[in-house]
Amino acid sequence: MSQVRPRVGIVLVSHSARLAEGAADLAGQVSGGTVRVLAAGGTDDGELGTSAEKIGAAVASAETGAGVLVLPDLGSAVLTVRAMLEDLPDARMVLADAPFVEGAVAATVTAAAGADLKAVAQAAEEAWRARKL
Amino acid sequence: MPASSETITLGGDLHARPAGALAVTAAGFAAAVSVTAGTKTADAKSVLGVMGLGATSGQQVTVAADGPDAAEAVAALIAILADATHVGG
Repeated sequence: MSQVRPRVGIVLVSHSARLAEGAADLAGQVSGGTVRVLAAGGTDDGELGTSAEKIGAAVASAETGAGVLVLPDLGSAVLTVRAMLEDLPDARMVLADAPFVEGAVAATVTAAAGADLKAVAQAAEEAWRARKL
Repeated sequence: MPASSETITLGGDLHARPAGALAVTAAGFAAAVSVTAGTKTADAKSVLGVMGLGATSGQQVTVAADGPDAAEAVAALIAILADATHVGG
């Protein structure tokens, strides 16, 4: 566990820069700060929306050798992620279908434990079943 | 397979960061590990499950493990619970 081993990186894609940053901050703190969690929120000119350029840069920053999990906040962000993927055909990344906050926290904690990309994606998607009450 | 369990009384509420520490630590063990608070039991390796326990100050929490490193897993998780929630007496 103490070996320097690459961790799966996490990219949080939101229509809102502040939402992405807040979720990244929360997931990073809950997981102990050992995982790269990148926020890719808003358009290039700071409006609400998504940016293939921001997502691509975040994916590149999040990659440390174990792959990257990309988590969109709403379905329409998926279109931008897919467009970005066409520009990065070699990227080792998985797009997760998961609730944004819960999925971000579950995925980041699982990545912090050293799990592989498939297990991190699974942790995010299992968040659909997590109950709060 | 050896099994192990231990119960402590929480000195504070079980918040998000200790729940994360529990899950990250639990995932490092081969043993299956559960955390029980009241009538709810969660997989200790699931941070959302641990948070969903809603474990509060004064509540008894049991960590149980089953597997080759069960005793070590229980000791590690009890230590996190004790530290993070400032268990008294």
